[in-house]
Amino acid sequence: MNPSENADDSRPGVSRRSVLGGGAAVAVAVPLLVTGAGAEAAPVAEVASADLVPIKVEVNGKPVSVRVDPRTTLLDTLREELELTGTKKGCDRGQCGACTVHVDGRRVLSCLTLAATVDEREVTTIEGLARGDRLHPMQQAFIERDGLQCGFCTPGQIMSAVGMVHEGHANSDDEIRERMSGNICRCSCYPFIVDAIRDAQKVMR
Amino acid sequence: MTGQILPGARSDGSAWSVGAVGGAVAPGCGSSGGVRCVGGGVGGIGASPVRPDGALKVRGEFAFSSDLWADDMLWGATLRSPHPSATIRGIDVGAALAVPGVYAVLTADDVPGDRHYGLEVADQPVLAVDEVCYRGEPVAIVAADHPETARRAAERIVVDYGVREPVTDPEVALAGGRLVRHVPIRKGDPAAVAEVVVTGEYRVGMQDQAFLGPESGLAVPAPDGGVELYVATQWLHADQRQVAAALGLPVELVRLSLAGVGGAFGAREDLSMQVHASLLALRTGRPVKMVYGREESFVGHVHRHPAILRYEHGATRDGELVYVRARILLDGGAYTSTTPAVVANAASLGVGPYRVPNVTVDAYGVHTNNPPCGAMRGFGAVQACFGYESQMDRLAEAVGLDPVEVRVRNALAEGGSMPTGQVVEGPAPVARLLELVRDRPAPPPVGDDPRQLPGGVANTTAPEQVVRGVGYAIGIKNVCFSEGFDDHATARVRLELIGGEPTALVHTAAAEVGQGLVTVQAQIARTELGVERVVVATADTSVGSAGSSSASRQTYMTGGAVRAACRAVRAALLARLAGGSGAGADDGGVADDGGAVGDGGVVGDGGTVGDGGGRVAGGGLELAGGVIRDAAGRTLGTLVDLLAAGPVERSVRWRHRPTRPLDPVTGQGDAHVQYAFAAHRATVDVDPELGLVRVVEIATAQDVGRAINPQAVLGQIQGGTAQGLGLALMEELQVVDGVIRNPSFTDYLIPTILDVPPMAVDVLELADPHAPYGLRGVGEPPTISATPAIVAAIRAATGLPLARVPVRPEHLTGTG
Amino acid sequence: MRPFDYTAAQSVSQALAGGGAGTAYLAGGTTLVDLMKLEVMTPRQVVDINRLPLRGVSADRDGLHVGALERMSDVAGHPLVTGGYPVLAQALLRSASPQLRNMASIGGNLLQRVRCGYFRDTSTGCNKRRPGSGCPAVDGENRGHAILGTSDSCVATHPSDLAVALVALDARVRLVGRGGTRDVRLADFYLLPGDTPEREHDLRPGELVTRVTVPALAWATRSAYLKIRDRQSYEFALASAAVALDLRGGVVRDVRVAVGGVGTRPWRLPAVEEALRGRAARPEVFEAAAALAVEAARPLTHNGFKTTLLRRTIVRALTNLVG
Repeated sequence: MNPSENADDSRPGVSRRSVLGGGAAVAVAVPLLVTGAGAEAAPVAEVASADLVPIKVEVNGKPVSVRVDPRTTLLDTLREELELTGTKKGCDRGQCGACTVHVDGRRVLSCLTLAATVDEREVTTIEGLARGDRLHPMQQAFIERDGLQCGFCTPGQIMSAVGMVHEGHANSDDEIRERMSGNICRCSCYPFIVDAIRDAQKVMR
Repeated sequence: MTGQILPGARSDGSAWSVGAVGGAVAPGCGSSGGVRCVGGGVGGIGASPVRPDGALKVRGEFAFSSDLWADDMLWGATLRSPHPSATIRGIDVGAALAVPGVYAVLTADDVPGDRHYGLEVADQPVLAVDEVCYRGEPVAIVAADHPETARRAAERIVVDYGVREPVTDPEVALAGGRLVRHVPIRKGDPAAVAEVVVTGEYRVGMQDQAFLGPESGLAVPAPDGGVELYVATQWLHADQRQVAAALGLPVELVRLSLAGVGGAFGAREDLSMQVHASLLALRTGRPVKMVYGREESFVGHVHRHPAILRYEHGATRDGELVYVRARILLDGGAYTSTTPAVVANAASLGVGPYRVPNVTVDAYGVHTNNPPCGAMRGFGAVQACFGYESQMDRLAEAVGLDPVEVRVRNALAEGGSMPTGQVVEGPAPVARLLELVRDRPAPPPVGDDPRQLPGGVANTTAPEQVVRGVGYAIGIKNVCFSEGFDDHATARVRLELIGGEPTALVHTAAAEVGQGLVTVQAQIARTELGVERVVVATADTSVGSAGSSSASRQTYMTGGAVRAACRAVRAALLARLAGGSGAGADDGGVADDGGAVGDGGVVGDGGTVGDGGGRVAGGGLELAGGVIRDAAGRTLGTLVDLLAAGPVERSVRWRHRPTRPLDPVTGQGDAHVQYAFAAHRATVDVDPELGLVRVVEIATAQDVGRAINPQAVLGQIQGGTAQGLGLALMEELQVVDGVIRNPSFTDYLIPTILDVPPMAVDVLELADPHAPYGLRGVGEPPTISATPAIVAAIRAATGLPLARVPVRPEHLTGTG
Repeated sequence: MRPFDYTAAQSVSQALAGGGAGTAYLAGGTTLVDLMKLEVMTPRQVVDINRLPLRGVSADRDGLHVGALERMSDVAGHPLVTGGYPVLAQALLRSASPQLRNMASIGGNLLQRVRCGYFRDTSTGCNKRRPGSGCPAVDGENRGHAILGTSDSCVATHPSDLAVALVALDARVRLVGRGGTRDVRLADFYLLPGDTPEREHDLRPGELVTRVTVPALAWATRSAYLKIRDRQSYEFALASAAVALDLRGGVVRDVRVAVGGVGTRPWRLPAVEEALRGRAARPEVFEAAAALAVEAARPLTHNGFKTTLLRRTIVRALTNLVG
């Protein structure tokens, strides 16, 4: 149709999905600002990873086995280890909702979920919603109703909305707003997001 | 069903409305062939085709700058100053270098080229040289094989600071001569007197753009000694220029590609990690990725200038303005950024969209050791609007007029002149916009559903505890850059057969930041070239500058450039039709277009030069559906036939008509390209006991000249209005002694979906004769008048003067 | 985050065996993971207790029992809670966000840490985080801080909404440790900062909260939680009130009042309750009683407004319950 070429399509060597090189510990969160003024700077040896924890988790229907540093969040595991960058890191503090995924069918924040705790669980990310070319009704509705602008919060919005519909809490515009209030959108697509969810939940029933 | 286009709304061909409860479907929609539009349409100008990047975004496959990866890449981290003001007596990087996994630690001494950068004045250090001027200022950078290693190593850098007392009070800074710019406006009689005088002092807190996608990007060293930079930004070429200067490289060796942008709103106009990542990449010989954390993001970009505004309005007893005197003080923080332009905006737009015979305005921008301030959606006009619109309500009260009437009485109109002496050319429907929001049916009175009440789901308020208030405001914004700045945008358009189908490739360096610019570029190409399939290439520096995605200028400028390039392609096609030059006459060469060809023109029929109806300049020919027809409808040829000889490609660098600087003493000058107007009516329910405010409805009326994509226009209006609501009710960076005390989403509050009410929108399309398709910039005007309208509504409900934004519960309950 | 050893406990005894100084129990993680990222909490061991059989919402003669590992969202929607103790359901639903409520456990919610910006910033002093290092909030940014229960060492507000509702209902927590099991009144479980703000509650090292019990209270069906905040959702309280009212013929037979957003711990107001018992349920009675709530208030530089706001919140909560 009318593709908009994306940064990852044409530049050699730069991609959104390359394998993280051999066995290095995945990214872990760090405090606030690095000013050097932190009186509690960790000793250098702390940088090395602790004993890795093996986890078996089903991600978007596929079984995955990884060994994770216990400090690693589910968010970083998805993005850095499994190359599923659809889930976004907006704040890494559980304050924006951009990292929303489903664990055992419930919407949760992956930035505050330690990867080690999803052993033997089922995780669904935005990449797991569509069936090949067939978009999930919520995804389709977000496009049709233009419930996005920059798109950064969009995966989290969609995952949260799908979770909310499954929770049975999408029965009116007011309820939709109440139950989507954990997903911040700075472009403020909110009115169109409500429209999209209203449309999608009719189809999802 | 609410939300449908109101019947008869287009009776004069220039207006449409959307009801308040969502379900909005913008006009001009339909569906056709391969292009899906919201509600339909062929995907050209005036339709609302879905975003070409929409499918990628909803699938999570759209690559934002923080999603990029390169094999062998390193991670960068930044050491930032803990002090708002200090000298640097020494920096010892030894301990950081010794950390295993660290590949480079760089300071100012390692900057090979210019050590300072800046959009207007190059006064901001790439890395601090011998002093730091704000808390968070970058001092050193580290590259390591792991982001945590990089940050921990940065913590080990020892900086010997000589801490100084920071200057944090802008009044003190002004008195102490730390002036960035003073813009005086002098019109008429400085000593004019009036029967009715109202004065006020108003304050606007520091707002933050708070985009969701953090500062991030990837720098890859190139074999030719240059660097390829993939970054989320608003202006690729400005970044390129500054990065090249800092690296001491020719511009050709610094190549930028736009990575997916997670919101901008002004905060990506200044550099963040671009030079840093490039320095580390060149030093290590490896790709370097940098991603800011959220706290770092709050500290790492410029903010909206906090403002102190003093106004005196003099009027007749009938409420006609005689004079306005204003003193506007903007705290620019540590470095210049775009403060000079912000000050000029605040000054030149400082009395609002009103006829004022005598104007004395002094706007100042000062340096302090507070965090640097620069561009944010509204750019000086936001602060001024809160001042002058608060004043207009005071005036209304003083002369016993209702707030809309006093504004209408003084409304600027086409042909009127600004305080700068510039005549407002083209429609200026100030009165009409106010009347539109006033005449909207009022929202229903408060009911029983707790969700509709202040406190909302917190169930705090019963209907009888609520006082409703309504407030109005109208604002004015300039569109495009000003004061003689040579602004231009370049577009390259190539028409060729791909798989046997005529396909247009549009290539610009314009930054899509969520506003829908890639959609609009494709729409223009469809209309101008009569093709359906359009590919918008990734924005990069291999094509000429498109200028900044700011100042609401991109549809105007990049749209104008794309249109001009398409018309050049059309002309080339015509030449082929006539048996002229074939393929090969189309390479290189960027033609300059001063905007004389096809400025605005008549919207709709006419076949005149410049309209968007697919009619070819001067020939009365029509390009549509891949077929070329003459005025009588006879087919002259098809694109498939014409393009069989090879592609046609043209590049055009497009300019708007020139502007002039402001006279440094009188502030007179034709400084702005275009003016845009939006009005708001806000209806709030206030619980005065508890200090809770709920915005019940906010109605906007805006003249957009020509809605290239009506759905996107609505999105911009809703988005800007919500950011104005945030400033009114909850958004403020708390800066104490130069330190941002609330750099998180839990302490810097932006509106949630529950905070943003249904929005009713009236859109006027009154063509600007000088603009492509008659369009007006859309993104900023709704941000400007939303804030004062909401505060006016709260004042109406409570009777409180409320001279400062954001308004908090304790301002309504008292501090006792 | 500092490195730690992670184990998942399969039983309470296994969890207790792994407990002690330097160990943190991980349930929903919404407090612990957040604070570990900030390096405010730096346990050497993290014991994942999510497999422990500490679930269930049930009622018997003793009252309502909620397993400590129940998730906030499940408890908020449970018919025993919505039917019998609406103040609990409302307090839960006003907290955090839907996603966080799906993750966070009841026990974890009660044990959450303060939101004070200085506590959360390791580059500043904080007596709670580092005893003896001072309290920058006393003279600093303290708009969100407490007016009740403060000391010169600490003025941070306890942030849990649920705890306020539970304290109003005289709830108890069951604590299980290697030394045995004990039940503690929740109001006594939380400690005032005094000189030892690092000690926030009566939880001994290695102890687990296993369940919360709300004594049966038939008239708790008339109860509510009011929360005043800076935006409509997803934000902590400026002031809040949990009230339950036993109203007969326009007279207050009995009442429970506890407030949040204003105290260094959830703040039960026995004096206010006493001033209401047996009195007519009328505005002037409510206002006179509410005034008692702030008699001991010690406002700080930026939170003086909470005194007025708290009084009015209490009055409004009672007024709304009368209907």
